[in-house]
Amino acid sequence: MVNMAAGVLMPKAGITVEECMITRWEKKIGDRVNIGDILFTYETDKASFECESTAEGELLEIFFNEGDDVPVLVNVCAVGEKGEDVSSLRPGAAAPAPKEAPEKTADAVPTADVPLNEQHAKNDGELKISPRARNLAEKSGVDAYRASPTGPYGRIVERDIVTLIDSGTGSGIGGRVLPGGIPAASSGTASAPVDGGEYEDVAFTKIRQVIAKSMTNSLATIPQLTHHHSFDATNILEFRRSIKASAEKLGLPNITLNDIILYAVSRTLIKFPNFNAHVTDGDKLRRFRHVHLGVAMDTPRGLMVPTIFNADQKSLTEISAEAKALAKQAQAGSVSPDVLQGGTFTVSNLGSLGVEMFTPVINAPQTAILGVCNLVTRFRMTDGEAKPYQAMGLSVTYDHRVIDGAPEARFAMELISYLENFTAMLVE
Amino acid sequence: MPKSLFVDPAATLAAGKIAFADIPVNAYKKSVRDELKEKNYTKGDLVRIYRDITILREFESMLSQIKTQGVYNGIETTYPGPAHLSLGQEAAAVGEAYLLGTDDYIFGSHRSHSEILAKSLSAIEKLSDGELMKIMEEFLGGKILRAVEKVSRPSSVKELAVEFIIYGALAEIFARENGFHMGMGGSMHAFFLPFGVYPNNAIVGGSACIATGAALYKKCNKKKGIVVCNMGDGSLGCGPVWEAMNFAAMEQFKKLWEDGKNGGMPVIFNFFNNSYGMGGQTRGETMAYDMLVRIGAGISPTLLHAERVNGFNPLAVVDAYRRKKALAENGEGPVLLDVLTYRFSGHSTSDQNAYRSKEEIEAWRELDPIVTYRKALVEAKAASDSDFEGILAETAERMTKICKWASDAEISPYADFKKDSHIIERMMFSNERAEKLDDRQPEVITKKEDCAAYAKIKEKIRTVTTDGKPTPKLRLYNLRDAISETIIDKYYEDPTLISYGEDVRDWGGAFAIYRGMADSIPYSRLFNSPISEAAIVGSAVGYGLCGGRAVIELMYADFIGRAGDEIFNQLSKWQSMSAGILKMPVVLRVSVGSKYGAQHSQDWVALCAHIPGLKVCFPATPWEAKGLMKAALNGTDPVVFFESQRIYDVGEQFREGGVPAEDYEIEIGDTNVVRTGSDLTILTIGATLYRAADAAKLLDERYGVSAEIINLHSLVPLDYTKIIESVKKTGKVVLASDACARGSFLNDVARNITELCFDYLDAPPAVVGAQNWITPPFEFDEYFFPQASWIIDAVNEKIMPLKGHVPTANYTPVEQLRKAKLGV
Repeated sequence: MVNMAAGVLMPKAGITVEECMITRWEKKIGDRVNIGDILFTYETDKASFECESTAEGELLEIFFNEGDDVPVLVNVCAVGEKGEDVSSLRPGAAAPAPKEAPEKTADAVPTADVPLNEQHAKNDGELKISPRARNLAEKSGVDAYRASPTGPYGRIVERDIVTLIDSGTGSGIGGRVLPGGIPAASSGTASAPVDGGEYEDVAFTKIRQVIAKSMTNSLATIPQLTHHHSFDATNILEFRRSIKASAEKLGLPNITLNDIILYAVSRTLIKFPNFNAHVTDGDKLRRFRHVHLGVAMDTPRGLMVPTIFNADQKSLTEISAEAKALAKQAQAGSVSPDVLQGGTFTVSNLGSLGVEMFTPVINAPQTAILGVCNLVTRFRMTDGEAKPYQAMGLSVTYDHRVIDGAPEARFAMELISYLENFTAMLVE
Repeated sequence: MPKSLFVDPAATLAAGKIAFADIPVNAYKKSVRDELKEKNYTKGDLVRIYRDITILREFESMLSQIKTQGVYNGIETTYPGPAHLSLGQEAAAVGEAYLLGTDDYIFGSHRSHSEILAKSLSAIEKLSDGELMKIMEEFLGGKILRAVEKVSRPSSVKELAVEFIIYGALAEIFARENGFHMGMGGSMHAFFLPFGVYPNNAIVGGSACIATGAALYKKCNKKKGIVVCNMGDGSLGCGPVWEAMNFAAMEQFKKLWEDGKNGGMPVIFNFFNNSYGMGGQTRGETMAYDMLVRIGAGISPTLLHAERVNGFNPLAVVDAYRRKKALAENGEGPVLLDVLTYRFSGHSTSDQNAYRSKEEIEAWRELDPIVTYRKALVEAKAASDSDFEGILAETAERMTKICKWASDAEISPYADFKKDSHIIERMMFSNERAEKLDDRQPEVITKKEDCAAYAKIKEKIRTVTTDGKPTPKLRLYNLRDAISETIIDKYYEDPTLISYGEDVRDWGGAFAIYRGMADSIPYSRLFNSPISEAAIVGSAVGYGLCGGRAVIELMYADFIGRAGDEIFNQLSKWQSMSAGILKMPVVLRVSVGSKYGAQHSQDWVALCAHIPGLKVCFPATPWEAKGLMKAALNGTDPVVFFESQRIYDVGEQFREGGVPAEDYEIEIGDTNVVRTGSDLTILTIGATLYRAADAAKLLDERYGVSAEIINLHSLVPLDYTKIIESVKKTGKVVLASDACARGSFLNDVARNITELCFDYLDAPPAVVGAQNWITPPFEFDEYFFPQASWIIDAVNEKIMPLKGHVPTANYTPVEQLRKAKLGV
């Protein structure tokens, strides 16, 4: 019997993960590898990982290049002794060996100029649109999501796309024309520099693609608007100072202002079920009994939003510890894909980066998002005298299909009241 | 109801009684010696009769062994098809065939192996070597002959022909390419035209009407020979058999048909009476006649010259045929023969004979002609026992050899569907063009120009407006004129063309298609039929497959049910079951009624379109009617030609210049774009076209929707090119016809459009049909048949909501589901 080399599979990095992109090969053909050696790094749409070798020997053949999307549980490479047969390990003919057809692999990564609506059509079955209308939208480069359906049973039909085209708006967010919308012009008539040295083309990473899609989807489908609030941060600043002082003595965790806000939000949300909810099927609301708090985090790969599940049942120290752990994983790119979903409300804190006011984008299908801004010194007239205090801005974006302006104001008032009286509330 | 026949009340109401002449029962009494003495046969003839009986017996025994044991004389073989064996009935078949020539046609039943072989052996005996070789060379391009020649070392051409005929029949039964019909007919559909062996039929009694039509062909076209229709006694339970006998015995043949064509029909209804209709005993159990032969008295004053004959004695059968054949040839037909016989084997090889006793079978076996006839010949010193032993050995040896050839896949391959998947496809239609089917001068009474109907049509105005004003109704060339004109033209072109149906001659047809023709077209070419839809269609099938062209009329589409077998099993199938050897130039005109309620107003195009082998047309404008009728009459395929009574009077509204006076054809399968538009496609079948036109007008005026209308004047075949073009353009399609929506042909079209144009569709195709109810009285038409408003409602609900439209019909999914659940 001929000795067979062993294949190394693309791991399944989470229950919902179907394919991963190879980001970097750490070994090259001919290298010796032991079991446990890092062969390559890869990322899902939400996190990145390292793949350890499951076999020992020489790296005989690599079946996929960096940048390739590889279905999970498919052989990525073959490890064995020189001369061993690897033919049976090669994935089906559809996956060419890297050296033979390198140009083909470029197709595997969708590029940024794929029209948005094509992605919707592929990934989002919820859009009710006739085949003809979809074709016209694609051909014309308009975003079918922006069409007002007038067909039977809320279906977008041809005339709706025609109306959209006639309205002169482009396919981009807010009507901007996307590259897909002007296919001929972008490559043919534009006076863009011909010399490749003038610019650099960078394909979206997997994570970037997902961010792009979810942002576009949110802004294209949710009528959302933002209220800006401000509250007196004196109480939470004092609380934090006191904790910080004793933390060092008592070995308590370092509680940040953000932890405090997360805690207050988790307690407030439970009283406002419409804010702790998902919109499903476009016309139904799923209100959750517990708060699963998404925490937006800036990472080297881009925006990530890991979830603190059942935050309403966790203590301040538990929330603080969990937020720190998640942040660490997110920075390292090792956060589990399963934690990157399931949030019922999101908190995005740009305060530490000096942002004074912003319009956070709803993380669909959630109904609202809280943006936390920086501290500013404000003055309050007390007894005819202007007294300074530290104020913090809160920007709440909400889905107007679900939430009206006044309810948002009530939610904000409740949250502000909690934060301004934080010490007292903790006792409660 | 010709005026020449006076229905005299005095004579009609006069008292009296009917006396019947005696009907002979087993009257033949001669011995072999008597026959020899009268020089009716030579000794050789008598021995050959015995030889033929042994061939038939061996053939059926072989099949019996193959079916029950999978082996015959050491050859292991079998086949899945049927074996309705005639073991025991051979002497009757040989007796029948003895005097028949190749110009005499026989038609058969499901149990006809013996008849086919007997008639063929008889023909081989009568034909010269040269004639035999020519027939074998020409049949299927000599294919069967080549196969036989390759393996056979025959002592003579006659012996070669015997092997050829047995091999061809067996290969057909075994479904081999070398069968008479390339294996596509099988046991119940094996026949051989060059020897006058015409189709046998798997439908009990199915041959009665067809054989009558064959006799009609001989009569109308003065062809030599008679027609024998072989059936079993059980077939007398079938209505179409009675219809056929009455049709064949119509008094008009003698009383009204013109000189040269008058006289009785040259047909013998031959019942091989084995006492069983499958397992039901006819005499005493399932039939009322006591003796089958009695029914001759119920058909005509001639008693159909009925006679009961002992079919176990071949000479008794020959004797009967000598007399009856002469009657049929001399215009005294039809004739009825009750030929007694007995089937030793079961109905089929799976028959356990639970319905009869062993004693009964044994008692008949003792009279088995293979024993008794031989004994009689030996006694009469016609031949010796050793001669007969020699014949038996020779027969067994020949049959073994042929069985080996027919079961050998090298010599007798199956059709290779893998190599050629279109084998049967090519047989479904002949698609030939034949303006006339014979070269002789058509027989007519007057010149075409003097034909009243023709002259009247010629004067008509072929456009709907004259000088900007609407053409007066009585002067307008309408859809009826288009059909009439084309038929008249064909009467003067094709001498074989005949037309018949109920009330077509003096009345001119219930819808006046033939009005004004009776004075120009002789009786034999345009005649009234009895109210016998099965006989009307079935006889046309026989007329067509013999080489004539028939246009027949069923007054209402609703009567298709009365001719169900004839349309769905006979008219549609004979071209392909014969592997293209037979043609079927028959146009069946049926009208879709109006105003006459539930059993006179149905659009049944879907039924006809469903059955493979029929071309189906439904013209809705005079231009379509003329062009399609022309194409149907120039073709060689069966066409069911639907006409709507609602629109017989319409002029050509859609075509610039109206209907051309000159000849033209519309290809069957084409479609007619009657209105162009850009937003919506409306497909129509039949009279609904006019309601769709109204809808299109309203859609334009009220909603700014530009509708294109395509009329599907052809259903089978159907070229989707223009339909797809239009749907690709508009993306929206609504289909409408007067047929009940469930199972409507439109659903088939809608499905094809969905599949072929899916990416272009802006909404699923919407079908608007009649309600799935009975057709109510005319007063409630608007609640039953699609109206212009329904079409608009369907567009509004299913395709694109129309601003400000208030629907009247309910096309919501809830309603659709509710109706489906209730089955209405």
